[in-house]
Formats: sequence, structure tokens, C-alpha cells
Amino acid sequence: MTAAAAARSIVRRGMFLTAVALLGLAAVYLLALQYAPVEARQGLAQKIFYLHVPSAWSALLAFSLVGIVSGLYLWLHDPRLDRFAASSAEVGVAFSAVMLTTGPIWAKPIWGTWWTWDARLTLTLFLFFLFVGYLALRAALQDPAERARFSAVVGILGLLLVPFIHLSVYLFRTLHPQPIVLKPSAPSLPPEMLRTLLVSALVFTLLYVGLVTLRYGLTLAEEAREEAGDAA
Amino acid sequence: MPPDNGGYMIAAYVVTAVILVGYAGWLWSKGRRVLRS
Repeated sequence: MTAAAAARSIVRRGMFLTAVALLGLAAVYLLALQYAPVEARQGLAQKIFYLHVPSAWSALLAFSLVGIVSGLYLWLHDPRLDRFAASSAEVGVAFSAVMLTTGPIWAKPIWGTWWTWDARLTLTLFLFFLFVGYLALRAALQDPAERARFSAVVGILGLLLVPFIHLSVYLFRTLHPQPIVLKPSAPSLPPEMLRTLLVSALVFTLLYVGLVTLRYGLTLAEEAREEAGDAA
Repeated sequence: MPPDNGGYMIAAYVVTAVILVGYAGWLWSKGRRVLRS
């Protein structure tokens, strides 16, 4: 199979997975709005939880994988790893844009302020800027080997921030609530809310996989076209 | 009686759809171009 044919096959798979995930997202909206109960103290604003938490999960998953795969790239020098890291970073930036917009929209009616410079929020904003910088760095460097090596280092630095972000609610005084699902004891949520959250997390994870597959295929197609152009 | 703050919920749901569907649509259109080429 030629590189162009392989790229088309990956693009097709990515488009299919993305379409299925977007249908799943529509189902999540229905579940969150119709099935999940209204929380007594926070009201309808609490339903932002079903988008904010899964987008944060997907963003941190994306950035963690960028860091891990970047480490592997520095060891193995396999261009597939660099391509995956770049795809995951771009998709992670999209998910963190959702996290960083839904968070303040939820905070305003509950905390009385759009934003507070506490550890969790500030570190998350830094992580977002770091990966925007990662994408800018990739766009600025022309040599593929140099681009892959430099961006891998930035990707690993991003990974170092992830555990601090997860643990920041334990380590520092913060307005942000502590984890209610990913914690040592059992999840502290009514069953309808927990089910809706888990379905949403599953759909967001599928959307992550679909978007990364599509982005990876597009990058591969671009590389195949450039190689064909160089050969001609 | 829960507080009346449904407008914030609607804003968050619209923003999420715009970002995710917009980004997916942008990649999707590039994908269609690759499949046609």
C-alpha cells in the first residue's frame, strides 16, 4: 500500500469515528438535559459538569499521551510517534478550549466570579498556553527531524504539569472542588448523574480517538503529497 | 427551589458544540478533499 492510499484509509476511519462520536455527543446532550436530575443547590448550571469534566479528562489524556509518545520518539526516532504527538496536541488544545470556557461559565453563578487565580485554574491555563506554544513551534520549524526533536521536549514538559493539575486541589487552597469520581474512595454522585457522566466521558474519549485518527491521516496525506511533489 | 441559572447552562452547551463541531467540521472538510484527490 502506498503512503497516499494508507493516509486515505486512516482519514476514512477517522471521519467515521468522529461522526459516530458526534452522534454520541448529541445523545449526551439529551441525557444531560432530560435524564440527569437538577441539582437542588446549584440548579441547571450544575449540568455544565457533564461537559466540563469529560472535556478536562480528554484534554489531560491528550496532553499526557503527547508527553509519553514524545519520550518514546526521543528514544526510537519513529516519525509515526511524532505525527501522533502533533495530532494529540492539536485535539487536546480543542478540548482544553472547551474546559477553559465551560469552567468560567459554571463558576460565575456558583462562585460569583468568572475566574480566580488559584492553583488548579492557573496551572490549567499554563498547560493550554504551553500546548498552543507547542503547535506554534511546530509551525515555525521547517526541518522535520529538528521540529520533532524540539517539540518532543516541550511535550514532555507538558506531561510534567498534568499530575500537579490533578493533585492541585489537595496540595493548595482552592475554590475548585476535589475529584468526585477519580479518587481513592467510591464516587460520591447519585446514580443518574454518575451514569450520565460516564457516558459523556466515553463519548468524549471516542471523539478524541476519532479526531486524532483524522488529524493523523491528514498529516500523513500532506507528507505523501509533499514527497510526491519532491520526486516529480 | 433551585436557583434560576439556566442561561449559563445554555451558554456552556452552545459554546461546547461550536468548538467541537466546528473543529471536527474543519478536519472533516480537509478529509473530504484528501479522499477526492
